[in-house]
Amino acid sequence: MAVIEISSLTKTYNETTVPVHALNGVDLQFEKGEFTAIVGPSGCGKTTLLNMMGGLDAPSSGEVLVENEDITRMKAGPLVEYRLNNIGFIFQSYNLIPVLTVEENVQFIMELQHRNKKEVRDRVDHLLQVMGISDKKTVRPKFLSGGQQQRVAVARALASKPKFILADEPTANLDSKSTDTLLDLMAELNEQEQMTFIFSTHDQRVMDKAKRIITMEDGKVISDVKVSN
Amino acid sequence: MLIQIAWRNVWRNKVRSLVVVIAVALGLWAGVFSDAFMQGMADQQIYSVIHTKTGHIQLNEPCFLQNHDLQLRMDHADSLTSEISAMPGVAAVSAILQQTSMASTSASSAGVMINAVDPDDQQKVSDLYTMMVAGSWFERSTRSNPIVIGQGLANKLKVKEKSRMVLTLQTDQGEIVYGAFKVVGIFKSQDSEYDKLTVFVRRQDLLPLIHLPESTATSITVLLNNTEDTEVKMAELNSRYKDLQIQSWTEITPMLQMMSSAMTLTNIIFVGIILIALAFGIINTMLMAVMDRTREIGMLASIGMKPGQIFWMIMLETVFLSITGAIFGLVASILMVNWFGRSGIDLGMLAEGINSVGFSTTVYPGLSTAMYAIIACMVVVIALIAGIFPARRAISLKPASAVRGE
Repeated sequence: MAVIEISSLTKTYNETTVPVHALNGVDLQFEKGEFTAIVGPSGCGKTTLLNMMGGLDAPSSGEVLVENEDITRMKAGPLVEYRLNNIGFIFQSYNLIPVLTVEENVQFIMELQHRNKKEVRDRVDHLLQVMGISDKKTVRPKFLSGGQQQRVAVARALASKPKFILADEPTANLDSKSTDTLLDLMAELNEQEQMTFIFSTHDQRVMDKAKRIITMEDGKVISDVKVSN
Repeated sequence: MLIQIAWRNVWRNKVRSLVVVIAVALGLWAGVFSDAFMQGMADQQIYSVIHTKTGHIQLNEPCFLQNHDLQLRMDHADSLTSEISAMPGVAAVSAILQQTSMASTSASSAGVMINAVDPDDQQKVSDLYTMMVAGSWFERSTRSNPIVIGQGLANKLKVKEKSRMVLTLQTDQGEIVYGAFKVVGIFKSQDSEYDKLTVFVRRQDLLPLIHLPESTATSITVLLNNTEDTEVKMAELNSRYKDLQIQSWTEITPMLQMMSSAMTLTNIIFVGIILIALAFGIINTMLMAVMDRTREIGMLASIGMKPGQIFWMIMLETVFLSITGAIFGLVASILMVNWFGRSGIDLGMLAEGINSVGFSTTVYPGLSTAMYAIIACMVVVIALIAGIFPARRAISLKPASAVRGE
């Protein structure tokens, strides 16, 4: 069964002045446990598509069904709850909370979910262990390298136990070593925990790890292939 | 964790936050200290009037205060004095016979208000005996007809201690009589106008001159242990002495009461204006903070932080920023008010003008705990109001574009 079903999705910016068609009738399905890269040139609609799946932006038409619930029709309040409980976000610029330590950054999202303290503590310890940054738990993000910060961001994305993770160009600011480490960790999580990852990327190394590559151009899906690594 | 994040966010840009903290601290310090200065002046004025002129309560025959007619006198004042003295909460009572008169010397003459008193009783209700600049308060007066006068009057009549002066008096039958008095003391109160008009003589000297029995008085001044008991004692006295006019110090000197109330209101308005001005600085700082953190706020909204939580995070930051400044400002104010409250601020260079309106030249600033509490509440309210605009700005950001810093 598909976790996400997208049908006839369009998004047009500046509809009243000079219309820009960021998405132009996209139809896609994502299964649980996929490791998918959405690729294409800048402005092809990758980030817009991720935003629609994440409930961060509303489409001009079409629908996004997550486990048969159309999130494009959700009101603001339920949409925030949906994002909190269903999606893990990883951003290009890490976007950690600079005033919190590594462990506080990870536990913050669970506190938003009102999870009990023991569960929060155990999960934070587990995730930092998995991401190999246990020794940095009391450090603030500015004292970490880019790769370490992105690993904290992955831990934070996983902390809320999401149904899938949306990662917008997660390796764009990383060197090759950090990229490899991060991709290996994510691939391992995908294998072991069946966590669904959907990336937008230009990075060949991400594409090399992906099990499915969706190519977009001018707001349309021009190819959708499953690959075996 | 919201509180923790908000507090740490305040100190992310230390310089910017410290500028606001210092501005709030200085503004409050200036506002509170000037309030304390004004309030100190007003409180001293009230204390001075009560403890030199009116007491807390005065009893007269009805209408006496309007025309000072000797026909409106109390013939059994001494027994009334004894009864009132025995009431709980009463510190002292003094019977006074007041009469307007003309005081003359070889050099000049002036209209005066004679206060015929029992010096020992009067000393208990009035602090004037502590304000002697020459001679003393009837202490060495074993001979008849001593008189204590104000410095302004002494200057006007060109008299000094041991000088003689003549008072023109009127009996209750309208007959004019004269009495020679010897100056035994000259006082200088905070009110130079009062000093130009007021003389004190002994009741035992004046009453025979105007042919009145020895128990006669026109006013009874009552000093209470606590000013706050005035209304209660007024009610008791009113129920006991229905035929007399009984007035509190606020009724005798309504301007004083009005001044005190107006001063409190003025103080609140003054601090309010300072805080409103500071609020614009706080709004500006918080707006800059929100704009600097557009990407972060977008991320928080994206990962599932509710708009209400983002709103209160910014509000808390505003309150923390303001309260930090307020704490420094209030502590500095309290220390300074306490210091000058003990040592006083000497306004000697402005003595003439200040004394002419009845204020002391040494001001002891003071502010009630209630006033400090009101100011603290005002800071919180202003901070909450100042936080609304930046907080609304933060929640109006669209997560998708904010997370990219747009």
